[in-house]
Amino acid sequence: MSTLLLKQVSFHYQGGFALQDIDLSLPEKSFLALIGPNGSGKTTLLQLMSGLLQAKSGQVRLQDRPLNTLTRRELARQIAVIASDQYFAFPFPVVEIVAMGRFPYLGRLQKLTDSDRQIVEESLQRTEIGHLRDRPISQLSSGERQRVLLARAIAQSPAILILDEPNTHLDIHHQIEVFRLLQHLNQEHSMTVVVVLHDLTAASTFCRTVALLSEGKLVKTGTPQEVITTETIRSVYRADIEVHPSPMGGFPQISYR
Amino acid sequence: MKGTHSLLILLVLTILLAGAALFIGPVSNPSWAIIQGIRFPRVLLAIIVGAGLAGAGAVLQGVLRNPLADPFILGTSSAAAAGVVLAAVLGFQHYSMLYFMSIGFALASIFVVYRIAQIDGRAPIQTIILAGVIVSLFFNAAVFLFFSIFYRESFTMLFYLLGTLTEGSWTLIGISASIITLGLGLTWFFSRELNMLTQGETTAFHLGVDVETAKKLLFVAASTLVAASVAVAGMIGFVGLIVPHMMRMIVGPDHRLLIPASALGGAIFLILADALARTIMPPLEIPVGALTALLGSPYFVYLLRTRQNAGDF
Repeated sequence: MSTLLLKQVSFHYQGGFALQDIDLSLPEKSFLALIGPNGSGKTTLLQLMSGLLQAKSGQVRLQDRPLNTLTRRELARQIAVIASDQYFAFPFPVVEIVAMGRFPYLGRLQKLTDSDRQIVEESLQRTEIGHLRDRPISQLSSGERQRVLLARAIAQSPAILILDEPNTHLDIHHQIEVFRLLQHLNQEHSMTVVVVLHDLTAASTFCRTVALLSEGKLVKTGTPQEVITTETIRSVYRADIEVHPSPMGGFPQISYR
Repeated sequence: MKGTHSLLILLVLTILLAGAALFIGPVSNPSWAIIQGIRFPRVLLAIIVGAGLAGAGAVLQGVLRNPLADPFILGTSSAAAAGVVLAAVLGFQHYSMLYFMSIGFALASIFVVYRIAQIDGRAPIQTIILAGVIVSLFFNAAVFLFFSIFYRESFTMLFYLLGTLTEGSWTLIGISASIITLGLGLTWFFSRELNMLTQGETTAFHLGVDVETAKKLLFVAASTLVAASVAVAGMIGFVGLIVPHMMRMIVGPDHRLLIPASALGGAIFLILADALARTIMPPLEIPVGALTALLGSPYFVYLLRTRQNAGDF
């Protein structure tokens, strides 16, 4: 059974841009990278998958239920999303930000239970930010903030974790750390992970499945070896590149000409 | 636990200062009649108006994701005042009309500001100020228009607009007190949603918040708080800016504590400001709104500069 299933999903904005006839199935424990040139519809597709946008036609199903029949709370217990731009107007301590992940499980005016607190603690440990717990989020570096947001998403205990370019503001050390953590969540905790990526080498190194979007259409879905080829990438991105197998294990990597 | 502690201290401080304020004024040996008939309603007004304005400030700052928002700067106070003045010049006798128009105008103004100021899911200070100036100018012009067409004795109205705590009608005080208590209760009931909204509307959605409902409710509550304050006391500026900012330093940014703390802090602030306004230039009394604006403007500039230097907008 697939965790998330998109059947003939179409969407268009009033301005004109459209996603057409997207068919995509995410089996349990998938690790999917959405790639494609700027303006190809990656973020729109992500928003359709997370329930933020409603498909104009076709259907998105989550564990065999139409996505739009879930309440906000039910949705938040199943899907956690980390958007690409984050702005912190107020100096909430890290632990309170992470505890916000428990919101969909709490009644109005209900306090965090012991098990909620334990989940928050585990999320802090897993992302290795236990030592930052009482620091205000506004004082942290962007790498640390990214880990806080990951911790909050983990605290939501979702079946699916969706991230929009999680590596944009990070140096390579932190990028690798984030991807390792995502792999761990995917393999040990059976979380389905979907990431939008610009970095094709990262996509092919860390993700098991790659879906390539171009001009609102899904042009190819498969393993990195199947999708990231010199021919395909050259034509879709109109970039003068060469793809060759990495010496680290054969997955495709990109060289610029 | 530390938070509840601070709330308790603020509550005790409010009660002590309210008691002390009864004995402060231009008459040094006040008779019981003065205390009961003039000073008591005045201190009561300071408490409810201070609580209403500071609570509204905290809510607006949260939803707009900007700690420099304030009902006065946003033009909400001007709009509410325009509603009050229009109700008066149209000769509406019943109180309900006064509040109805005041709340309606305030709500409309918040909606306009929100639409103008919001860029990419939050309201940066530049657009907030811009939108606030535009809205204030519009409603201030409306007030003067109403004056020039209908009003012959506009001096008392002008004094009212500057912000005073001299309203003597127990009915008005009672209605405003009830509305503000209800409004604060409602915002507190939604304070966890407000915490989520400060993380951004998209993030709040993904955390399970019904964003549109929460936002509408909080805007209605905030404009009601402002309107009920303005209806009895005119435009008293910067309470909603200064108080939540100070309270955030004491209890932190969690709105479950910040809203009650701001309400109490606002009461304390306005009791003190009014005591100052009554005694600073005896036997004259200056409008407390003029005083808070004189104090608040430099404070605003100070916050603006320090946050700018910290690259924090």
